[in-house]
Amino acid sequence: MTWQRETFKKIKQIPREEHVLPGTSLCAGCGGLESLRLAAKVLGDDVVYVNAAGCFTMLAVYPFTPFKGSWLYTTMGSAPAGAQGVRDALDVLIAKGRLPKSENLKVVVLGGDGSTYDMALSSTSGAIYRGLDFYYFCYDNEAYGNTGMQLSAATPYGARTSTSPCSLQHPFATMQEKKDIFEIWRAHKPPYIATVAPRYPLDLEEKFARAAKVTGPKLFLALSACPTGWLYDPGETPEVAKLAVETGLWPLKEAINGVVTHTYVPKLSPVETYLKLQGRFRHLFEPTLQKEAIAHIQGSVNAYWERVNLAERTG
Amino acid sequence: MAGEMMTGNLAAAWGARLAGADYIPAFPITPQTEIVEALAKWCESGAMAARFVTMDSEHSMMTAAGAAAATGARVFTATSSQGLLYAIEVLYSISGWRAPLVLVNVSRALAAPITLEPDHNDVLAARDSGFLQIHAETCQEVVDSVLMAYRIAEDERVMLPVIVNLDGFYLSFTREPVILPTPEQVAQFLPPFRPAHLGFKASAPHALGVAVLGGTPYSYFRHQMHLAAMNALEVHRETAAAFEQLFGRRYDVIEGYRLDDAEDVLVMSNAFASRGKVAVDAARGEGRRVGLLRLRMIRPWPADAIREALRGRRGVAVLDQNLAPGQGGILFQEIAACLYGEAVQPRALCSFIGGLGGKNLSEGEFRTIFDQTAEAAAREQGIGPILLYTEPEHREMTQLQMLATTQGDVKREP
Amino acid sequence: MRAVRFHGRGGQGAKTASRILGTAAFLEGFVAQDSPIYGAERRGAPVAAYTRIAKEPILERGLIIHPDLVVVADASLIHDPAARVLEGIDERTAVFVNSPLTGEQLRTQTSLPGRLTTLDLTEISVREFGKRGALSALLGAVAGRLVGLRQDSLGQAIARELADLSLAASVIERNQAVALNCYDAVRPVSVEAGASQPILPAQLQPPTYEPPTRGTARISAAANSVLRETGGWRTFRPVLVPDKCNGCWLCFVYCPDGVISMTKDDKPLIDYDHCKGCQICVHECPTDALVAEREKEGGVAWRAK
Repeated sequence: MTWQRETFKKIKQIPREEHVLPGTSLCAGCGGLESLRLAAKVLGDDVVYVNAAGCFTMLAVYPFTPFKGSWLYTTMGSAPAGAQGVRDALDVLIAKGRLPKSENLKVVVLGGDGSTYDMALSSTSGAIYRGLDFYYFCYDNEAYGNTGMQLSAATPYGARTSTSPCSLQHPFATMQEKKDIFEIWRAHKPPYIATVAPRYPLDLEEKFARAAKVTGPKLFLALSACPTGWLYDPGETPEVAKLAVETGLWPLKEAINGVVTHTYVPKLSPVETYLKLQGRFRHLFEPTLQKEAIAHIQGSVNAYWERVNLAERTG
Repeated sequence: MAGEMMTGNLAAAWGARLAGADYIPAFPITPQTEIVEALAKWCESGAMAARFVTMDSEHSMMTAAGAAAATGARVFTATSSQGLLYAIEVLYSISGWRAPLVLVNVSRALAAPITLEPDHNDVLAARDSGFLQIHAETCQEVVDSVLMAYRIAEDERVMLPVIVNLDGFYLSFTREPVILPTPEQVAQFLPPFRPAHLGFKASAPHALGVAVLGGTPYSYFRHQMHLAAMNALEVHRETAAAFEQLFGRRYDVIEGYRLDDAEDVLVMSNAFASRGKVAVDAARGEGRRVGLLRLRMIRPWPADAIREALRGRRGVAVLDQNLAPGQGGILFQEIAACLYGEAVQPRALCSFIGGLGGKNLSEGEFRTIFDQTAEAAAREQGIGPILLYTEPEHREMTQLQMLATTQGDVKREP
Repeated sequence: MRAVRFHGRGGQGAKTASRILGTAAFLEGFVAQDSPIYGAERRGAPVAAYTRIAKEPILERGLIIHPDLVVVADASLIHDPAARVLEGIDERTAVFVNSPLTGEQLRTQTSLPGRLTTLDLTEISVREFGKRGALSALLGAVAGRLVGLRQDSLGQAIARELADLSLAASVIERNQAVALNCYDAVRPVSVEAGASQPILPAQLQPPTYEPPTRGTARISAAANSVLRETGGWRTFRPVLVPDKCNGCWLCFVYCPDGVISMTKDDKPLIDYDHCKGCQICVHECPTDALVAEREKEGGVAWRAK
């Protein structure tokens, strides 16, 4: 069964109105900002963003905010708990008649992969476990970006970061596999999880529109192609995001009450096409071609999609 | 005797209940747990119109607490020891948001080695977080201080969170008679929480706790927190007067016990101050002119009140139930700093460390403090830090060390 | 002592240039000190870096308020208030600007004081490296020439500093060669130690208490980030070729900063006050209706496609 978009069928259905305005100090060509901007077109302005320490901290820097909605900066390790406090307080104040229902807000956590995969994992697990009605938006640029690209648990095998350099002992740089946060989230059985990528705007918008109908934790993992950290030209952000999807490295999917559907079937182009574009993988190609590492990455992708195909065949 | 028998923990919970807290994020830790258990029960039964949520850690608990206060709810929570330290990063955020809430800390000594009984290194680790601090001596004072704390915290001139501290075991699990104010009285005392700068809502979006770049805005906002904390001295005075008028009990930022004609003064805080008062009475019975100064408000630091209370004294002994390794007693330093500018200084300022990890303070130890302070004053030279540790305690310790190095039955069959 | 201040945009290499200069001076036996300052901003945002060179131990630290030489990596910074390029510059300050204009032309256009000298490093970079890359080696070499350091020490310094950035040996060699050409090409102006500035006591004005509506880091305005212009970040700007545009909306959709809006007849309208110049729209335009043009003086017909 193929996945059908119901709300967003054509590019010109994407709302014209902007909800994250320009003038921020995020990098030119930021893939995370591109995803957030598109997401906000569905989320609207009746939102309080609860931010964890990360690149997005730089969105609201005194005295400027790009949001027409509200913002609360918490800590790196506890933004979901901040969302809990805001959500609960709004509910209590509305229930007690101290806040009109018309003043109600959606609560949206913004966290980078460092916060999401590492430090705030306990806090996120707690919020999902408690069934908190909130959105979680993870902008995943696969390293600690705001501090200058250090290894995080989201850094993929073979990527060079400033704390997982390549060396004689580690010619492929990062040797760990990226944590499967989608599956970690899914093990909690939240009502909605989705992955998105900026080059697939209709897929992204459709998923936020679907999530809007759901009460409870709504979790988004956004591929945040990062020119600064991944070392490619800022203009190539959509191209990099596209190749991440088309090589099968970044599956576009959703899980509703734990049931996974892939929302896009990629061509499964060779992973080299994606890796070659980025300076963080350059050591896999020069001075010597690291066939073993590339084969390992390709093997992981192939194994993933074999599992997917098997699962879909067997229902 | 009026009132009813209750523990310090239950008194703290009653403080939250009477204050009409809207929201209680919680996490268990000994010896605080009884507080959140009582609150959970009341929220469940409908006795309290508050939402109670068990969080996944104290770090999350404090974040939820601060975020709810920032949304406009009246928030109560409680912790202790390691829990407070686990949350300490968040304390700085909450005070920076200027989100007033009340946090009860039940003092317990810090690991390592881990232990359960009290001293004050936990709460004093939060000394510079921007939370105000009120340290209670009795169970009655716990409930009264929680109520006062909300009124002070939520005053527009302050808008800072408050820690109310009580000692583990010696207050937390100790029952004594407590008079509970009626909800009607509390309603007269505590105005509704309607902060102008807080509250997320669709019609008036705002961004709170945003980053600043550069020292100019940072210095400004940090300094505002200082001014707000200092304003709390005046707000406390007004609050104490209003409290006395309604409830007939008076609490000042410091408490003097038999100070009027005292030559030598013992400075203490928290529950062991009761033992200090008994020791003062005993010494007075033998004709010695000693008194006790109990520090109740630690932040803001009531320097003027302390100076006035200690002016013209012969000897001053500060008994710290905490230890800053490499320095000594924390409150001793603060007392010394605020006396430094005085034209007439005590002849001797003495530092004693006692009650670490809840170790008992015996009458004999107090007597030694009085003796040594009098001698130091006669010599006009301060002493310390001196650890209050007795000969029998040394013997007990030696035995424990011996056991820790004695092999068990190592010839067991494989 | 010579005090050199570098201005650039994040990613242009101002910090590395300050290090190249510092290392080269150090290799020649001088006492040197270099340090960057930047906010948490990244690529495109103004950054500054400082190098001090002296024969005696340097007791200063941090910002250089009264520089002897200012090196400007991007002419668009001159009038960006966030960059503070003009701070402490007077007629005796030596100023290098990466620009195709001559010093005299630049003075007329920008009313920049000081002893001006220029070289079009961007054009050299695009020609020699085939892309708008970092200019660190070029800036470092030019600054070294102006303060009177030797070619060999600058060459060594470039090798050391670029190796620290894990650049490939071939790239480093190429940078050395191009940088030393710039060393020769730049027109020297004299760089003199500035007169010492008089010190007046600061008038302290400690703030008084304000209610937390104002006294906390809180923004009650909505979406006021637009008051802050980021158009100056651009080195290249996207320009519409109207008759090639098919009105597909892709540029509008993919723009991370939301600076492209679509007119009623489906033509992109670019907000140049805020466009950071990432060129995503240029890359993604399916009909080549958007092209990249170099900011300000023009002179280089660089296009993404």
